[in-house]
Amino acid sequence: MSTAYAFTHPGGGAVQVPAHERVVLPNGITLLIVPCRDVPLLAFQAVLRGGPLGDTKPGVASLVAGLLEKGAGSRDAFAFADAVEGAGGNFSVATGTEALSVSGQFLARDQALVIELLADALLRPRFDPAEFEKLRARRIELIKAAKDSDPAEVMGTYGRAFLFGSHPYSRPATGSEASLASVTHQDVLDYYDAHVGADRLILVFAGDVDVPALERDVLAAFGDWRKAAAPPVALTEPQKARGRRVLLVDSPESTQTYFWIANVGVNKRYPEHAALDLVNTLYGGRFTSLLNTELRIRSGLSYGARAGFTRGTAAGEFAIRSFVDTENTGKALDLSLDTLTRLKRTGVTADMLDSARAYVLGQYPLNFETAADWAAALAELEFYELGSDYIDQYATKLREVTLPAARAVIDTSFPNAEDVSMVLIGDAAAIRNVARNYGPLSEMSITEPTFTP
Amino acid sequence: MKRTSTPLPLSADALRACTHTAPGREAVRSCTLANGMKVIVWPVHNIPNVALYNWVRAGSRNEAPGITGLAHFFEHMMFNGTARRRPGDFDRLMEAQGGANNAFTSDDVTVYQDWFPRAALELIFDLESDRIAHLAFDPDVIESERGVVYSERRLGVDDNNHGFLAEQVQATAFVEHPYRFPTIGWPADIQSWTLQDLQRFFRTYYAPNNQTLVLAGDVLPDEAFALARKYFEPIPRQADPAPVCVVEPEQTEERRILVRRSAQTPLIHYAYKAPAAADERGPALSLLMSILVDGDASRLYRRLVEQEKQVIDVGGNWHEGFDPALLWLYFTLPEGADPDAVQRVIDAELDRVVHEGVSEAELRRAKNLVSVSFWKKLATIDGKAQLLGEYEVFHGDWAKLFDAPAQFERVTAAQVQAVARDVLSVSRRTVGVLVPAADVNVEPELSEVA
Repeated sequence: MSTAYAFTHPGGGAVQVPAHERVVLPNGITLLIVPCRDVPLLAFQAVLRGGPLGDTKPGVASLVAGLLEKGAGSRDAFAFADAVEGAGGNFSVATGTEALSVSGQFLARDQALVIELLADALLRPRFDPAEFEKLRARRIELIKAAKDSDPAEVMGTYGRAFLFGSHPYSRPATGSEASLASVTHQDVLDYYDAHVGADRLILVFAGDVDVPALERDVLAAFGDWRKAAAPPVALTEPQKARGRRVLLVDSPESTQTYFWIANVGVNKRYPEHAALDLVNTLYGGRFTSLLNTELRIRSGLSYGARAGFTRGTAAGEFAIRSFVDTENTGKALDLSLDTLTRLKRTGVTADMLDSARAYVLGQYPLNFETAADWAAALAELEFYELGSDYIDQYATKLREVTLPAARAVIDTSFPNAEDVSMVLIGDAAAIRNVARNYGPLSEMSITEPTFTP
Repeated sequence: MKRTSTPLPLSADALRACTHTAPGREAVRSCTLANGMKVIVWPVHNIPNVALYNWVRAGSRNEAPGITGLAHFFEHMMFNGTARRRPGDFDRLMEAQGGANNAFTSDDVTVYQDWFPRAALELIFDLESDRIAHLAFDPDVIESERGVVYSERRLGVDDNNHGFLAEQVQATAFVEHPYRFPTIGWPADIQSWTLQDLQRFFRTYYAPNNQTLVLAGDVLPDEAFALARKYFEPIPRQADPAPVCVVEPEQTEERRILVRRSAQTPLIHYAYKAPAAADERGPALSLLMSILVDGDASRLYRRLVEQEKQVIDVGGNWHEGFDPALLWLYFTLPEGADPDAVQRVIDAELDRVVHEGVSEAELRRAKNLVSVSFWKKLATIDGKAQLLGEYEVFHGDWAKLFDAPAQFERVTAAQVQAVARDVLSVSRRTVGVLVPAADVNVEPELSEVA
């Protein structure tokens, strides 16, 4: 085959953080403003440090987040929703492992309304007892619905509970059916007083903003906000698990086994993150990865297999995730573990590294296309104190990754196949004996109201 | 190059001055190759990347009993080798030059998508045209890919209660039209289609004159047209595929099915017969859907989730196809809920919109929501390529995209009520109810699916 075109050396992929304002208010709020004047939209991202780390029972922080938009300031829950959606906007709350966030997008002309709604939600939530009861009951039922229809989605929650032991990362961020049932209205009020306040807030606006008006209005609306009463919850690094063990979650009519194979990985400030991204791209991060090649391309066992690192203030998990028909469970588990062993033993080649480098560089700019993308990116840089270089220098760092650097991250960050925690969701009667081959077995039913046996 | 602001392509001034016409129309250019393939290009230079969509007018609508799922299986086979490249080379070469790809199949179309840095532009044209001109079928790969597709089916249907119920409702709603087939395919068909079935499907539908290529991003129209001429134009035109002439007989009575499954939470699906994508009532119908299910202030969410607390989740969508299809409403119920009681409330809400219409405030809210979601989509090269393709393929002209905001803005409350009256008719709907297998209190009505 003749190729008439010339391959260009992958030199693209460089992304620069746009010019932006950063102000720390006297009460501790960090305000970031990214003017993007071409845009008729205004995106915002409010991040409250702590999140479920301050939970007395799993799910409290998540209920606090959910209730922020269920009545605040002069508006009850319906009036609040009417104000948001009447303007065509959206206002979403989310619960991360160590933060709560409120994000959304409005037409830029509604800048004043956005600040008013955000300040009401954060400073003056009503925490109406009837709304609390309703949200709590609904959250419990939504977990049951997810267990009915989306085993792949709930798999990670079982997995983290199994892997992280007594570390806070083991707790389900949005709670379990049982833990939510035990949360009281007073728990919500106590959490809000203790863990929500100005010193925990990062506030980012991006889009077609009027910067002086925005700074003035934010100062007026948030400048007097109190600090959180309790000190921030300190986080220790979790310990890597030694040896192998298995949690089998019985879902009797399931036609496939959904599996998660993991150990503790690395944190957000891991210095070799560029090398890590390249190696993980090769192992489980793209279609032609070693893992997907074995489980999908070569064997046709699964629709897909991925692996990746979740990196927080402390080390999150490195996890392999896939699914396979019940009958082939053992085969797919063996192949997954074999690819891990192969990576540890033989590493990657220079050609593979070049291909991964081109891929990551080529896809990187697609993450930074919109105002909402930049609001989220800047909030993340601020939250983890990474600095703009984390984005500005990423392309350079990728180009500098050497084979020995790749070898080093394989040795130190990817687990041995003998040291993994495995979660299998499937038909226990059919796969119990297979599951026993991989290590000591714990078992529970998917209808149990928790994520731990 | 130092970028100092987020480089979105929309001009705020242009938008403020002219809220009824989306900007960008003057930049978009199209051409039709000698073999009938149309190429549409929207140059946008905010990031050094390009999104490419190849729209093939073939979906499960073009299938028949015994070969259901073939269009979707075909989508998988398009990544599995040509006369010039081995299975796997397509992805390997693309990823090594920084590109990623995907594809999706619907009842109406199969769409191939690539997202790549501009330096890979010519490679992408080479790869995309190669698989249209020289697709090869390796029998071993066919068998392996059968397993992959079956796994996809288990994920989305067999182990997913919403997916399982929807498949049964769709199969009940149509008696003749191929919209009754699940796009993923019935299990026996997935296991039995043959090499000959695949070859016939390819010859019939993968003609250049049955495809539309859309590019958005860091590419100039003339550059894309030149590459299209070089790589795609030599592929010979073929006879146009025979049109799908099936007209679904008028539905005159409500159809109901009951499904018993391992579950904690019951489900209800409503599927109403609805107009085709190009129907002039389309904008009014989209706004009606927004009023009913879009957001916490929507009618069905507020009544059922917030006020009555009989439902924990509400959703819906209008299947905008070449032919009249379905408008879906989905409800997830809390454990122990009585589906009959919930249906009475849903029906009362739907009657209210039919008989009393919608308020100006509700209509304004819906227009604003639709408008913001339109701008959000137009803010990315991916969204641009997708929207251009949708308007070209389903509405006959990509340029209609730019009139979409005005179309929505013109809709009146009376038009929304009129389309509600047309569509939300009990005698033209199919209702599916899924209850936990252990629940013995629910009596099966008419037909039951185990």
